[in-house]
Amino acid sequence: MIEDFRIGFRDISKSFGSNRVLEQTAISIASHDCIVITGNNGAGKTTLLRIIAGLEKPGHCEISLDDASPEPWRRLRKRLLKSVMYLHQQPYMFAGSLLRNIEYAARLNPALADRESSVQKAISWAGLDGLESQSAASLSGGQKQRVALTRARLCHPQILLLDEPTANLDSESRERTLQMLREFRDSGTAIVIVTHDPGVFSDLATSKLHLQDHRIKADDIWAADVVELDSVRQSKKR
Amino acid sequence: MDVLLTSTAEAFRLLFSGNPEIWEIVGISFRVSSMAILAAVPPALVIAFTLAYGSFPGRRFLISLFNTFLSVPAVVIGLTLFIILSRQGPMGDFKLLFTQTAMGLGQFFLCLPILVCMAHVSLQAADRAAWETARTLGANRLRAFFTVLYEIRFGLMAALLAGYGRIISEVGASMMLGGNIAHYTRNIPTAIALETSKGAFAEGIALGIVLLFLAFVLNSLLQYVQGKGSINP
Repeated sequence: MIEDFRIGFRDISKSFGSNRVLEQTAISIASHDCIVITGNNGAGKTTLLRIIAGLEKPGHCEISLDDASPEPWRRLRKRLLKSVMYLHQQPYMFAGSLLRNIEYAARLNPALADRESSVQKAISWAGLDGLESQSAASLSGGQKQRVALTRARLCHPQILLLDEPTANLDSESRERTLQMLREFRDSGTAIVIVTHDPGVFSDLATSKLHLQDHRIKADDIWAADVVELDSVRQSKKR
Repeated sequence: MDVLLTSTAEAFRLLFSGNPEIWEIVGISFRVSSMAILAAVPPALVIAFTLAYGSFPGRRFLISLFNTFLSVPAVVIGLTLFIILSRQGPMGDFKLLFTQTAMGLGQFFLCLPILVCMAHVSLQAADRAAWETARTLGANRLRAFFTVLYEIRFGLMAALLAGYGRIISEVGASMMLGGNIAHYTRNIPTAIALETSKGAFAEGIALGIVLLFLAFVLNSLLQYVQGKGSINP
C-alpha cells in the first residue's frame, strides 16, 4: 500500500517558443485519486503530464507536498522522477525479451526483497505468463501496455500518469488495462489519465478535468471536482 | 605485370615466414590505433549524447563543426598537432613529437568526429522515449545513458568500425607526428610509403595485404552487426 499523500502543482506555465501551452494552471493529486483529463489536441495535456513526471521543464511551476510550503519544480524534479511514473501512449519496450524489460524495472527498485519472485508474480499479475522469452518489440499493443503497467507495479510509484492508455486497444485489452489500473488506485497509487475518450474510465475516475485555453478548466468545475474528490474519499473511508 | 606478381608472391612469403620487422610494424599500428580509439570513445559518446539530448545555445553550431571535422584531411590534423607539440609550441615541453603518443593523439582527433557524428545520428534516430522510460522508471542519468547506448548499440558498433578503419589506414598525421622511426613509430601506412619510395614493393604489398585483410574483417563485422539490427526478423 502507498501511504496517503497530497501533492499540489501550482502556477504551471509552459511555452514552446511563442506558443503558450499552459498558463498559471494548477492541479492537486492525492493517493487513491484517479483523475481523468480531457482536452482538444494541442491543449497541453501531454505537456502537463510530462511536467508532473519531471520529464519536461516548465516555464514556471511550484509544488507543495502534503502541507509543506511550495517549492520550485526544479528543486523537486529528482523526487518527481523517483515517485511519479509516466507511461507513453505507445509504451517503449527496451531491446530484448519481455523478461528483460520487466527485470530492468525490478533492478531499479532496491526495496524489492526477492527480485526474482517479485518479477514472476508481477508477470502472472499481468497475465503475461509464457511470454517471458518473447521479444518485447514483437508484442501486441495490449501486451506492451501490460508490460508497461507491470514495470510500474514493480516500481511502486506514488503517481501513475497515462497518456491515452486505451487508444487502439481492443475491448478485451481495454478491460484488462482498466482492471489493472483499478488495482493501482486501490493500493493507493494516484492515477492521472489523459484521454479523448473519458467514458472508458467512468467507473474508475474519481474526478474529471478539462484542459482548455491553457488552463485546467474554470474554477467552478475545479471546485466541483474537489468536492467530488472529497466525497469519493469520504465514501472510501466509510 | 611481372613486377606486381613477383612482388605479391614475395609479400606472401614475407608474411607467412613470420618476418619480425613486418609483424612489428603491424603490432605498432594496432597498438597505437586501438589506444587512440579507446581514448576517443568515452568523450565522443558524451559529446554525441549532449548534442542529441541537450538544449543549449550553440548546439547547432557544434553539430556543424563536428560534421566539418569529418572532412578535414589527416595532414591538416598532423600539421596542427605538429605545431602544438613542436618545441616552440604550447605543448613543446612535454616532448611528445615523434612518439607513439603523438601518433595516437593525431588518430584520436581523426576518429573523434566520426564517432561523434555517427553516434549523434544514431541517437537522433533512436526513440527519445527510451531515455524517458528509463528515467521515469527511476534510473539515474548515468544508468539511463547506458540504457540508451545499449538501444543504439548497432549504430555505435558501425561508428567504432568506421573510426577504426579511418585511423589504422591514415598516413599523413602518423608520418608528421610519429616521424616514421623504425621499431618505434613506423606503422603500416608510413612503412608502405617508405618501402614504395625505396622500390621495395614486396614489403609494401605485404603490409598492404594486412590492411586489406583488416578492411575486409571490419566490413564483414559491420555487415554482421548491421544484419543483427535489421528490421527484418
